[in-house]
Amino acid sequence: MPTIEIEHIHKTFGSLKAVDDVSFKVEAGEIFGLLGPNGAGKTTTIRIMLDIFKPDSGRVSILGGEMDEAKKNRIGYLPEERGLYQDTPVDRCLVYLATLKGLSKNEAIRRIDEYLIRFDLADHKHKKVKELSKGMQQKAQLIATLVHKPELIIIDEPFSALDPVNTQMVKDLLREERTKGKTIVMCTHQMHQVEELCDRLVLINQGRAVLYGQLEQIRRQFAGRELVVRASNPLPAGLPGIISCVALNGSFRLKLEPGASPQDVLRELVLQNVTVERFEIAMPTLDEIFIQVVKGSDG
Amino acid sequence: MAKFWRVFSYEYLRHVLRKRFIFALLSVPLFILFFGFVAVLMVFLEYNPRPVGYVDLSGVLKETAVLPSGADNIAPTVNIRRYDDENTAKSALLAGQIQAYFVIEPNYLQTGKVKLIAVEGTPSASIKSEFSDFLKTNLLASQPKAVANRIENGSVLTIISADGSRRMNSDQWLDIAIPIVAGLLFVFAVNTSGGYLLQAVVEEKENRTIEIIVTSVSPEQLMAGKIAGNLSVGLTQLLAWILMAFLAVILVANFIPSIQNPQINGQFFWLVPLTLIPAFILVAAFMAALGATVTEAREAQPVVGLFTLPIVIPYWFINQIMTNPNGPLATGLSIFPLTAPVSLPLRSIFTVIPAWQIALSLFLLMSCAAGAIWLAGRAFRLGMLRYGKRLSWQELFGRAGRAA
Repeated sequence: MPTIEIEHIHKTFGSLKAVDDVSFKVEAGEIFGLLGPNGAGKTTTIRIMLDIFKPDSGRVSILGGEMDEAKKNRIGYLPEERGLYQDTPVDRCLVYLATLKGLSKNEAIRRIDEYLIRFDLADHKHKKVKELSKGMQQKAQLIATLVHKPELIIIDEPFSALDPVNTQMVKDLLREERTKGKTIVMCTHQMHQVEELCDRLVLINQGRAVLYGQLEQIRRQFAGRELVVRASNPLPAGLPGIISCVALNGSFRLKLEPGASPQDVLRELVLQNVTVERFEIAMPTLDEIFIQVVKGSDG
Repeated sequence: MAKFWRVFSYEYLRHVLRKRFIFALLSVPLFILFFGFVAVLMVFLEYNPRPVGYVDLSGVLKETAVLPSGADNIAPTVNIRRYDDENTAKSALLAGQIQAYFVIEPNYLQTGKVKLIAVEGTPSASIKSEFSDFLKTNLLASQPKAVANRIENGSVLTIISADGSRRMNSDQWLDIAIPIVAGLLFVFAVNTSGGYLLQAVVEEKENRTIEIIVTSVSPEQLMAGKIAGNLSVGLTQLLAWILMAFLAVILVANFIPSIQNPQINGQFFWLVPLTLIPAFILVAAFMAALGATVTEAREAQPVVGLFTLPIVIPYWFINQIMTNPNGPLATGLSIFPLTAPVSLPLRSIFTVIPAWQIALSLFLLMSCAAGAIWLAGRAFRLGMLRYGKRLSWQELFGRAGRAA
C-alpha cells in the first residue's frame, strides 16, 4: 500500500490555480522527489498532503487514510518556511517540539542528546537558537524533524544553508532512514541531489504534474539520439548513420541519423578496427530534463 | 489533550521563569515601597528639631498650655515655647534657639489671625499643622474631655443603603481603596498577559515555526494552550500582587487602627472573579486574533490600545460612579463588556446593583469572550501561513474566508 496517495487534487486561491489536477503515489521505503520551479505548487501540494490546506476537490490518503491528529506523530516535516524559537535555548526548544510529537520529556531529552552529538551541536545545546549559525540552525531543525522516529519524512530543501561536509552527512542520514524502511518525500531545486538520492519523482509546473515516474525511466525517456564514444585511436570520418561528431573532454559525441541504431554504429566501429574504450547512449541530466520540460510546458 | 498541556506549560514557564517576569512581578510593590520610603524620607528631611515659639497677644491660652499627643505623626513633634512678648521671641529666633514663632493676634477669637515669623524661608507645613493642633487642643481644654475629643475628631458617618445590605463608614477608606486597587492590578495583569499572548501568536509566524507546530498539534489545542498559558501568567502576577497587598494591609493595620476591620460586602468578592476571568479571556482572545492577522508584533501595537484602553475608562469617571452609582453612566459602564470588569465590582461597593444588570453584564461579557475565542480561532486558521501579508478584516469576516 502506498504511503501517500494523491488523486486529482485541485486548489485555487482567488483567481490563482495553485494546484491543478495533480495525482501521484509515494511508495513505502522510497525517497521520492517533488520537483518544480518556484511557484509551481509544490508547497501547496505538501500543505494539502499534511491537511494544513483542504483541497477544493480530489482525495489525499496518507499513511493509509485521511490525515488525523494521531498521524501527526508519525510524520516528520521540515518545511521550506522554517525556523525555531529564537530566544529559547536549543535543547529546550527541541524538547518542546519533540514532546508535541508525542515523546515523553525524558525520552525526548535522551534522543535529542544523541542527535546533538551526532550533528556536532552538543557544545551549543544551552545556547539560544539565535546565537547559532544558519547551518547549525538547519541541523537543529533536522533533529526536530527526525527525533520522534517518523515513518514518513517530508523535507523541503534539506540542503540549503549546509556546507559540503554537512550536506554529505544529511545525505547519509537520509539513506540510512530509507534503509530503515522510512518513506521520504524530498522537495528540492538541487537536481544533482535528486539524481543521487531519489528513486522516483514528480515534476510539478504551473500547478500540474508534468513528469512522473522512476528516475531512470524518465532519463531514458528524455535521452536524445546521441552517443558518447571514447576510443584509443581517432574515429574514422564518414561513419554511416552519423550526422555529426564533436570532440568533448577526450570523448566524442555522435549524433545519429533518423533510422540509425546505436548497435549499427558500434558494429561499424568494430569493423573499422577502432579500439572502443567507452560506448554509451548519452543520457540527459535531470537539470536538462527539468529545463526542457518546464520550458516546453511554459511554451 | 496532552498536547494542550504541553503548549500550556511551555507558554507559562517560558515567561514565568524569565528574569523579566520576576522583575515585572516585583516592580509594582517595589515601586510602591520606594514611593512610601521617599515620602517618609521627605518628612524626616523636612523635620527640624528646634522648638517653635509663640506669643499670645490675645490671652486665649493659659500659661501652662499643653501639647497635643502627636500619636498619628510619623516624625516626632517639636517643642512649642511660650514667649511673653515679640521682642523676646525675635531675640530667641535670631539667636537660633527657635526655628520660628507664631504671634496670636489680640483679636484672634474674632478673626482667627495668627502671624508666623521665620528667618530661613518658609517653615515646613508640619510646623503649621502642629501649631494648629496645639491651638485647638488648648482652646478646647476647658470643655469636657468627650466633647473636646468629638470636636477634634469629627463624626464617623455611616452610609447605609435603603435595604440595609450596604454599609460604609466614612473612616473606612480602605473599603474604597480595595476595589480601586484591585481594578488597577487587573488592568496591569491583563495588559501583561495580553502583550505576552500577542507576542506568542505572532512569534510562530515571525520565526517560521508555525508549519512545524500545526503539523504536530491541532490549531484548536495550540490556541487554547497559548491563551490558557498566557492567561495564567497574568493571573499569577495578579495573585502575587493581591497576596503582597494583603500582607501589606495586615502589616499597616497594626499601625492604623481604622483599617483593621474593612467592611466590604460579599457581593464584591464574587463579582470580581465572575467579571475578571471572562474579561481576561476576552482581551486575551482579542490579542490572539490580532496576533494572527498581522505578520509582526510591532504591526499590532497601534491596535492594542483599542482593547486595553476601555478597561481603564471607569477610572476617569470614578467620581461619578461613587456619587451616583445607579446613574446612567455608571450603569452603562458596568454593562459594556470592556468596562464592566472594573465598573461592576466598584459599583457594588456603593449601591445595591439590580440583579438584571448583573445578569446582563455577565451574559454580555461571557458571550463576547466566547465570540472572541471563535474569532481568534478563525483568524489563526486564515492567517497562520500568511508570511509578510496581513489578513484583512474583510477576509476575516467575509465569505471567502469561510471556505478556506
